[in-house]
Formats: sequence, C-alpha cells, structure tokens
Amino acid sequence: MFVLSTAGERRLQRLLYAAGFCGALFFLLAPVIFMLLTALSQRPDFLGNNYVMTTRHFREILTTPSLHFVRYCINSLAISIASAGITTIIASGGAYVATRFPFKGRTAVLLMILSLSMFPQICIAGYLYRIIAAAGMVNTWLGLILPYIAWIMPLTFWILISYFSQIPQELDRAAFIDGCSPLRTLVTIVFPLAAPGLFSTLLLAFIFTFNEFMFALILTNDHAARTVPVGIALFQGLHGELPWGVIMAASVITTLPVILMALLFQRHIMQGLTRGAIKG
Amino acid sequence: MGKRISRASSDTVWLAVLLMPALLLPVALILMPALCTFVNGCMQDVTFMPRRWAGLANYARLVQDPALFHSLRFTLLFIAVSVPLELACGLLLALLMQVQSPLRGMLRALVLIPWAIPAAIAGRVWELIYSYNWGPANYLVKLTGAPAVNWLGSSTGAFLAIVIADLWKTVPFVAIILLAGLSAIPEHLYRQAEVDGASFIRRFVAITLPLLRPVMIVAILFRTIDALRIFDLIYILTSGGPGGATSSLSLLGYTYFVGGDFGYGSAISTLIFLIALLVALLVVRIGRFGSSMR
Repeated sequence: MFVLSTAGERRLQRLLYAAGFCGALFFLLAPVIFMLLTALSQRPDFLGNNYVMTTRHFREILTTPSLHFVRYCINSLAISIASAGITTIIASGGAYVATRFPFKGRTAVLLMILSLSMFPQICIAGYLYRIIAAAGMVNTWLGLILPYIAWIMPLTFWILISYFSQIPQELDRAAFIDGCSPLRTLVTIVFPLAAPGLFSTLLLAFIFTFNEFMFALILTNDHAARTVPVGIALFQGLHGELPWGVIMAASVITTLPVILMALLFQRHIMQGLTRGAIKG
Repeated sequence: MGKRISRASSDTVWLAVLLMPALLLPVALILMPALCTFVNGCMQDVTFMPRRWAGLANYARLVQDPALFHSLRFTLLFIAVSVPLELACGLLLALLMQVQSPLRGMLRALVLIPWAIPAAIAGRVWELIYSYNWGPANYLVKLTGAPAVNWLGSSTGAFLAIVIADLWKTVPFVAIILLAGLSAIPEHLYRQAEVDGASFIRRFVAITLPLLRPVMIVAILFRTIDALRIFDLIYILTSGGPGGATSSLSLLGYTYFVGGDFGYGSAISTLIFLIALLVALLVVRIGRFGSSMR
C-alpha cells in the first residue's frame, strides 16, 4: 500500500484514483451494459436513434422450441455440475494422499499433473474426438462430462493441494491413532476444515466447464448435448440477418447466474484463482 | 512389527485407491490423445484413405505452407502485442484494487465479471460492438470525427478488434494475480521509504516492481501460453478472416481436423505444443536467471 507524504501527493493520488476508477468501471462494464441494452431494445441499431424497450427477445428465446435455448441451458448445467462435482470429489482424495503420504515419485506425479494443464486444447481435441466417437458417446452428456473431468482435474488437484497442506497434520494423525482409515479421516476431519477451499474449487471447476468451448464444439452436433456457449456461437438467424436482440437476450440469461456467482462469492473465487496460479 | 507392516501396506493401498482415480481420466483423455496426436503428426491420415506412416512429410509441408506462415506470424504478433498490454493494464487495475477506499470491494467484485463470462458470449458481444454501421465502437470513433473503422473486415481492424476484446476478457485475471503479489509486499517497506523521503514514483520503481517480479513471471507464463492457443474469441469474431488474416495456429489446426486431414492437423498441433513448451522453459529460465542475479 502506498503511504503518501505530502498533501499535494495525496490530492494528486485522489484525483488519479477517481480517474482510474471511472476508467476501469467503463472498461469492465460497458460491454455488459451494451449487451443488456441490446437485448431489451426493439432494434439493435439504437445508438443515435430512439430507444424502444421490449421484452420480446427474452420471450422469444425462452419459448421458441426451434431455438433449443432452454435445452442448451439444461445441458450446460447438468454437464458442468456433474463434472465439477465429480472432479472435486475425486481430486480431493488424490490431493489428500499427495499432501499426507510421502511416496516415491511424488514430485514426478505432481509435475506430470501440472504439465497436463499446460497442454493446448487443440493438441487433445482431434484424438479426444476419436476416442469419444469410438465409445459411441459423441453428442451425449457423458461424452462431455468425461473429457471435462479429465481437463479440469489438474487445476482442481493443484488448488486442493494448496488448501490441504495448510491443515495441520496432527489432526488427522490423531484420527489415525484412533483407528480411522484415511478415507474416513478425509471425510470427517479434513473436509469440514477445508470446506471453504472445497467450495472455491467447486466454483472454479463449475465456471471453467460452463465456459469451455472447443471440446463442446467438437463433441456435440445438436441440441441433445450442445452447451450454451456453443449454442450461442452457432446461432443463425431464421431469415439470414442475425437476430441480435435474441442472441443478446440469450447471452444475458446465460451470463446472469455467472455474474451473480462472481459477485456473491468474489472472495472464494479470487482465493482459488490466486492459489491455482501462484502455487502453479 | 507385524502391525507396522500391515499399516504400511494399507497405506500403499489407500494411496492407490485415492490417487489413481485422480490420474486415470487425465491420463486417458488428455495425455493419451496428446501423445497420439504427436505420433499422428508423422502419419498420412486423411478421411477415406488408409492411414500410413509418412515420416516427416507433414512437417516438410508445414515448412512450405504459406497459410501456416501467416498463422504463425499472426499468433506471435498477437502474443507480442497483447501480453505486454495485458500486463500493463492488469498492473494498473491491480493497483486500483489495492487502494484503501470505500469503492474497493465493489471494484474487486466487478473485476470478475469479464473473467467469468464465457469467451463465446464475450465474442458475440464484441462482434456486435464492432458492427460497422451501428456498433458502439464506430459510434465512438465517429464522435471524434474520424471515419468509421472496418473492424472485422480489414486485417488491421480485425487484429486490433481481437486484441481489444481479448484485453477485456483477460486483464481481470492478470489483475487478480498481480493483486495477490501486491498484497504480499510488506507495508513497512513503504513506510521506511517514505521516512527516507522517497517519492511516489520512486517507491513504485524501487519496491513494488522488483518485489512483484515472481508474480509477474507467473502471469507472463500463463498469459503467453494462453494467447498462443487462442481459439474461441477468434472463431466467433472473425473465423480467421478476412482472408485468413486472423487465423491463429489453433484455428488453423482445427480447420484441418474438421476438414478430415488429421495428419496435417496433428503436425500443426504438435508445433503449437512445442512452441508452448519452449515458451514455458524460456519464461521459467529468464525468471530464475533474474532472481539469481539479485
């Protein structure tokens, strides 16, 4: 934190802060506000024209069956919740033993997991498609859930390791002496203590899978499993011209929960993000 | 003694039971496809034709492919322009977020919004912003009296458009990482410097920047590798156009996979991986070198 000495410096800083704050606010929010305005506008070319408000784009996107938007939402939610939940559970077991049992090759395993998260997605996508196709799972929920679990496991694992290593080992050693198995110790002793960390991890895993694009683009072909980001990206107008109002209404509906989550759990998300990045 | 052994062996069992599931899927669905892709770079693998070993034929084709050259140049230029800008803006934003003020909590929450929005949706919103006739980007440009910019239809415009949209999406992440670094700098250093009469700028250059260096390096590493594999935003904003001017390496690889030329697509993917690896080693190396100098 800057500690400022002279009154002049202090005034200058206050001015700079005000300017910076307004600039940052505009930069961060203008696109989102524009999205909302377009979704609620009769026409997309309202700048410099009269603004006529309407909710018809929202009604259209939610009630037109041929747009499949509601189905995309269900797909996205089901796939993300399942992947984030399963990954967090599996990763917590792995991260727990990785922090508690020193074993041969531990560093090698940890480094391998870390390096997996660095692989560019395009290096995986081609053969991932072949594997999923060979298993007959293209365009199914499971066909996306399994790759997503694999894809976010390294990050999840890494964040959880940083949380678990902060819990004093004496606590679970005491449980061992009382005859608890590692699994029981994990569930009854470590989980309650690491609850905020688990929650942050779950949130991050959800946001990452919910936003994922390339795998979802390659592994789905229609509304049976297509997720919202791909659905919105591939939106074509019925009559040629892009229905911007409808696309933005869909974007608003999709973004709303994500934004709410970001605002409500800001501290958790920031903590998880910095841990994932800095420990990595 | 017997008890001790059984304890140790049950530890091994638990280790396997709890650790294996965490490794299984990443190995099967990340590592394996990636390794297959690397091998496949040396195969002739085109739809409706038998797959056969091709040695370095795909790579020989790579070297002479003008589309690849274009892609490589675009991607490297994109990294060179966007990563420094992201760092600069991210640092500014992080400093703003650190200032004690009643607005601090609000800023820290709002900063997550661009980060949390799916890149695909951000792409759609920016596509609309860049609309030639009635997008707000040109509305602002015209307010200043300048002629409208053909954002997505000219190669310079499209490049700028992608850089700006990408900045919006990624600066928050950089800022959050740098904020963590800023918060870790002990406050007494600043007080000491203030007692010594160091100015605002002097304190920033002498204390903040050097102590922020390790976090900066992490941010550079993350952002460079991410910028190298940029896909979503470009897929939506320009689809690589106009005329392939903004086709990133990932997008080029994708078009070959979709087009059925798996061998060549794999060769391009392998190239992307090798560049990523090189970048990672380089950044880590430079980071270490700098800290050992101090």
